[in-house]
Amino acid sequence: MTLHPIVGDRTNGGRPLFSIITALCLMIMYAPALYLLLASLNPDEQLGLVAPTRYSLNWYVALLDDHRLFRALEESTVVALATAAVATPIGLAAALAYRAMTRMRSIFLLVILSTMLVPGTIEGLGLSVILRLVGLSPSWVTVALGHLLWTLPFAIVVSLIGLSAVRPSTVAAARDLGAGPTRAFVDVTLPLIRGNLVSSFVFAFLLSLNEYARAYYLVGRQNTLPLYMFGAMNSGASPTIYAFSGAVLLVSFAAVALIFVIAARRQSGPPGVSLGAYPTHV
Amino acid sequence: MPDKVAGRRRRAAFFLALPSLVVFISIGFVPLALVAIWSFWSFDPETYWIKPVWSLASYTALLKNGRAAVLLQTAGLAALTATVSTLLAVPAATVIGLLSGPRRATLLVALFTIPFFTSGLVRAFAWRLVLGREGVINNVLISLGVVHTPVEWLLFSDFAVVLGMVAAHLPLAIVPIVLAFARIEGSVIRASQDLGAGFWTMFSSIVLPLIMPGVVAGFLFVFVVAIGTSMEIQLLGGAGASSIAIMINDVMRVVNFPLAFAIATVVAILLIVVIIVADRALELSRLFEDRGA
Repeated sequence: MTLHPIVGDRTNGGRPLFSIITALCLMIMYAPALYLLLASLNPDEQLGLVAPTRYSLNWYVALLDDHRLFRALEESTVVALATAAVATPIGLAAALAYRAMTRMRSIFLLVILSTMLVPGTIEGLGLSVILRLVGLSPSWVTVALGHLLWTLPFAIVVSLIGLSAVRPSTVAAARDLGAGPTRAFVDVTLPLIRGNLVSSFVFAFLLSLNEYARAYYLVGRQNTLPLYMFGAMNSGASPTIYAFSGAVLLVSFAAVALIFVIAARRQSGPPGVSLGAYPTHV
Repeated sequence: MPDKVAGRRRRAAFFLALPSLVVFISIGFVPLALVAIWSFWSFDPETYWIKPVWSLASYTALLKNGRAAVLLQTAGLAALTATVSTLLAVPAATVIGLLSGPRRATLLVALFTIPFFTSGLVRAFAWRLVLGREGVINNVLISLGVVHTPVEWLLFSDFAVVLGMVAAHLPLAIVPIVLAFARIEGSVIRASQDLGAGFWTMFSSIVLPLIMPGVVAGFLFVFVVAIGTSMEIQLLGGAGASSIAIMINDVMRVVNFPLAFAIATVVAILLIVVIIVADRALELSRLFEDRGA
């Protein structure tokens, strides 16, 4: 059910006004990134837009010689894969636990929320000191530990949203037909939330890939991608910076957009499966 | 029997929660608690570490060298960012929750959420190309003859920082309001129409009070996250611009551990209090209730 048909078209200027503000919001979120992408196709040393006929991938080709960039990318990929691979199952387990909880629910949610919102600098600082104390020297493992803490709340929320869209009657039906709780979970619930688990993995991967504040404190000798990029951005503007910024943007946009497309497809498919990211009903 | 089932359910919940609790406690809580305790220890110049001599020195140092000013300045910028974000988020969420059909609502939610998962660093950096001396805005203003020399305050200024932070954190303000819209019953809106209310009366006296918990939650989310960010300030702020996170990094560079711990403790405690109060007031846990059979 949506409220849209009830409101109708007579909004006394409300609809155009609100639509303009929405467009403005989207503009400030997308326009700079789009401009950067187009500017990265400029073959000249000088920054700015050129006519589409002069677009070139020169600076992207030049990236291939940047070995430090590739080592940073490799490090970040390892960290992000490890983080997502651990965060997704733990997040699912935590979401299942959350739903089975009664009185502990609100406290558990508070723990999830505060972990999500404590500044990365503070989490990174605290963790780096502890890890040094227990003798774990900085490496991709320490960064992944910090990123596990950063991504786990998101993994839990995505799993929770998936689980809240599974109709209890579907699971009850399986139980009535003699399936035990584990069997019902594996055969009924799990297939229904598969899309959310994929979203959970991809979101955790991307959040880790782009994380800066925690990695700053936890990184070993090899920089992660955002740390390397931050250094490059502040040390004079070589046009390759725009190219790898553009590449990073494209990859993350493509990955998330794909998740949303798949989620939307599934939503119009089997009943009881909701959009990967947000519930239409809560 | 019911006791036995409830007991088994509780045990299952405990074991399922265990891995995440281990992460939250050992990686999240324990480091913060130790940092809080160690902030009362003293710096040891011999080991460049700390020694267990209790002292309030780092908390008095917190108030010196303009550090209190940085704390207030960061809070001020975060409050401004949260205010602007909320003012933009209410109309945007209204378009999603009240004025769009399901397809467009889904598309808009996707559009507002996608950037959150892309590189914040790159998106902040991109503002440099737009706002700089030779950026898009200055080029347009000059070619239109509005100004003759580039407008300097667009970049490396508080204006650029707030703009960059609003663009980065807007989803955090919009999503809670969209969730609040999903809880509004169509019947209350229909009732207001039956009683002759126009759009604006309905919006201000029915819709706004009902979405207020989402509005407040969104404001607080943006505020809390903006307090902790350093990226926008480092990439877009002026020469002397600082923030809490930058200050912690700077203090750590001179290995003044107790002072860095003290700053971190004060900020973390303030933010956790804000989150607890918001959670109590807004019953955020209701966001994930079941949709029913």
